[in-house]
Amino acid sequence: MKTYLILLVVALLLAMPAAAIAAPPAQGQDYVVQADDWLSKLSDKFLGDLLAFPAITYYTNQKNAEDESFAKITDSNVIEVGQKLYIPSQEEAQAYFSGGTERLGTGTIKIGAVVPLSAPGSVTGGETMRAAFEIALEEINAAGGVLGQEVELVLADTEGLPERGTSQMERLINQEGVVAVVGEYHSAVALTEMEVAKANNVPVVFAETWSDSITESQYPQVFRIAPMSSLTADVYASFIDSLAAKRVVIMTENTSYGIDQAESLEEKLVDKGIEAITFSADIGTQDFSGIIERIKAGNPDLIFVSLTGETSYNFEQQAAEAGIGPQDIPMLCNQVAADDEAFWANVPDGNLCIFTRVGLPQSLYTTETTAFVDKYTTKTGKAAAESFAMEAYDSLKLVAQAVNEAGSTDGDAVISALENINYNGALGNITFPYGTQNPIPENVPAKWWHQFPEPAILLVQYQEPGQKFSDSAVVYPDTYKTADVIIAGR
Amino acid sequence: MEHASYLYLALLWFIGWGVVGAVVTPRIYGRKDLDISQASLAGAATGAAGGPFSLVPLWYLTPKLNWKWVAIPAAVIALIFAGAFAAADPDNFCVTNGAFVTTQIVNGLVIGTIYGLMALGLTLIFSILGVVSFAHGEFYMLGGMGVYYFTTVWFPGLNPFLGVLGAALLTFAIGAIFERVFLRAMNTGKVERPGEYAILVTFGLAFFLQYATLALVGSNPKKVSRFIEYPSFSLPVSAEEPVLDVTASTIRIFDISVSSPRVTAALISLILLAILMWFLYRTWTGKALRAVSEDRQAAAVTGINPNTMNTLAFGLGAMLAGLSGASLVQVFSWVPWVGVQASGRSFVIIVLGGMGSLPGAFVGGLIVGLVEALGAGCIPDPQRAAAYIPAYGMIILTLVLLLKPTGLFGREL
Repeated sequence: MKTYLILLVVALLLAMPAAAIAAPPAQGQDYVVQADDWLSKLSDKFLGDLLAFPAITYYTNQKNAEDESFAKITDSNVIEVGQKLYIPSQEEAQAYFSGGTERLGTGTIKIGAVVPLSAPGSVTGGETMRAAFEIALEEINAAGGVLGQEVELVLADTEGLPERGTSQMERLINQEGVVAVVGEYHSAVALTEMEVAKANNVPVVFAETWSDSITESQYPQVFRIAPMSSLTADVYASFIDSLAAKRVVIMTENTSYGIDQAESLEEKLVDKGIEAITFSADIGTQDFSGIIERIKAGNPDLIFVSLTGETSYNFEQQAAEAGIGPQDIPMLCNQVAADDEAFWANVPDGNLCIFTRVGLPQSLYTTETTAFVDKYTTKTGKAAAESFAMEAYDSLKLVAQAVNEAGSTDGDAVISALENINYNGALGNITFPYGTQNPIPENVPAKWWHQFPEPAILLVQYQEPGQKFSDSAVVYPDTYKTADVIIAGR
Repeated sequence: MEHASYLYLALLWFIGWGVVGAVVTPRIYGRKDLDISQASLAGAATGAAGGPFSLVPLWYLTPKLNWKWVAIPAAVIALIFAGAFAAADPDNFCVTNGAFVTTQIVNGLVIGTIYGLMALGLTLIFSILGVVSFAHGEFYMLGGMGVYYFTTVWFPGLNPFLGVLGAALLTFAIGAIFERVFLRAMNTGKVERPGEYAILVTFGLAFFLQYATLALVGSNPKKVSRFIEYPSFSLPVSAEEPVLDVTASTIRIFDISVSSPRVTAALISLILLAILMWFLYRTWTGKALRAVSEDRQAAAVTGINPNTMNTLAFGLGAMLAGLSGASLVQVFSWVPWVGVQASGRSFVIIVLGGMGSLPGAFVGGLIVGLVEALGAGCIPDPQRAAAYIPAYGMIILTLVLLLKPTGLFGREL
């Protein structure tokens, strides 16, 4: 028995250096896949490096283009017994890794996208963003991909649940191996996702999450191109003040997005001597009659709605039926009103609704904005592009540009490229002034970390029943104004 | 709240004397060899209402306990609670504004009739199949979607009431077919653990219906325009403050206003309720259904096929959920996951009313509607008032389970 063991050990010792010695061939060779082979095993055996397998994939595909007998590898995780591969020589492999070869078609670079695609998340928001991602992805790949490789978008459904955000990020980063993550619609979910991004040093560009706490964390991996709750609150507060409202009701959603927005707005209104009362409700609440009667009894002169999705439609229409709708007192509706077809179907009495639009006014559209809006409206059949569609589109294209400029998929390199980025997209020119390379000065609040400073925040108003979003009037701020705000009862 | 201590004192009084009454009363009745089946509940109610002033006479006289010994103390408790609330928060609209309170109550009752209709379906299924359908909310969703598709997409301009009828047939058909294909196996001995099987298979149906609808219909919220456009008028005509004021969106009587589509929905559900009662109590098939729910085997002996009744009951139950959805699709925006909250509420209602009890489901629906409306209207903290809506039903449910585990109208065990 003992002899067998010794023999076995000796045999193993002999076999190992034999393989190692045989490994670096001067020239490339053909190889037929045997049972129990996988690419990184082959690359370890022939090239002495577990991680050199993309070179095998690349050269095999190159050969396949000339000679059909070689396999075409679309996914480096899948090779089959009997496939003919080409194992490159050390020199060839090195040439590949030093970037001396044209890399297109060698494999894919994966970018993750987190969006809510089922309830209780805002499915409307998620589907909109998905459509915008698809447009961005098509454009990126049509322009030759990233680092010469095709980009693959891995969509993850977070369902609007913070715990799903964590698990989906883990999956994207650790199983799918994405180089960066974009998207997200719900701040509460973003707050858990960024922890995973930080732990794995993978950059994430949030598209439509407004909570201040996201950038306040000052995580090197976290970037945001959406406006912040406190920024929008400034705009709302000055607008409300300009209407001379004295008693404001804020109807908010019971989430980090809603509570954050309500708190910053309430604070700013109180500073201006305006009384504010905040009511909150869960996402998915249908029946608002009790709370609406209560708001009505309090006799407010303006209602601010920061519910989202169909919940906001439910509130706005029921308020209109109870006699405190936008046609009775000024109402700042949620920005989902931008989806005009759905808005008019669900809130038929919603004329004179005022709502936020992020992004440039139509008169200042850049060529990029126009191009995106054209593609988006053709693809979705909608009359105009919502701001979160533009944000989603920009977040993906921005990351693609950053990876290209970084020349690598390494986390630190991409983060550094993002900090120096100068990107022109649907939202305008995007830069991130403060970050690790340019620390935040003492007199600037922490929330400006990796924050796109100027997404234009406009207030628009539907001024005729059934009006198209693209025809809605810009009523605030004065610099972009296209029409005076119409106030019910005045 | 300015003087919250009043409210806390009242709650302390209810809980303290309620517990004393619930624990001591059955012992005293037991010692005197009297019926103790109602002693715990009546003792708790009497104790909470009057404390020692009512408990001592009760223990001394030990009268025969009937429903009055619960109803009268319950009314007293409500009065004390209202008084303590008024003292605690004198500026609350619920204290200062009578019209506000009545409007809330009427709104609660209006929506409560629809909750009741939906819960009736669930309790009907439970009483006959012994199965709690976890797909009930999805039938509610399908009812609304059905009306939308019938009146807006497939036959634009179709009379909305025909759309409601179409939705009813659709949900009935899906329910009946599902029962025939998946639940019949429970009664033929093909399934080893029928109870668990029923839970899993109805859960599966719920997911299937919800995501299939999402895939087919998309996530954009749908809504149907008001079924009835009420003509605008007021009575008496040209009065400064008319008694009755009707517009397309609101109906106002004195100071009580209810939105018109809700009134339409409540009227639909009351009519349907009347039809259902007629069906269950006046037709042979209805009587057969009730017979099966009383005793399956005895019903089978008299020539009723329990399997057919199962299929009929599941179809009817699904249809009732569908009809409540169909009547509400003009009030609320409709999305494929709209049934999730509604089905949770139905579970609360049927446990509250007593599993399998038809009047219990309806009264339970009214109570939950009322409590939700008053809770949303009266809870002093505006941040919490609406956010806790799902919790109000749960509080009532917990109290009922503590004091009367069979539910308000449940069959005594």
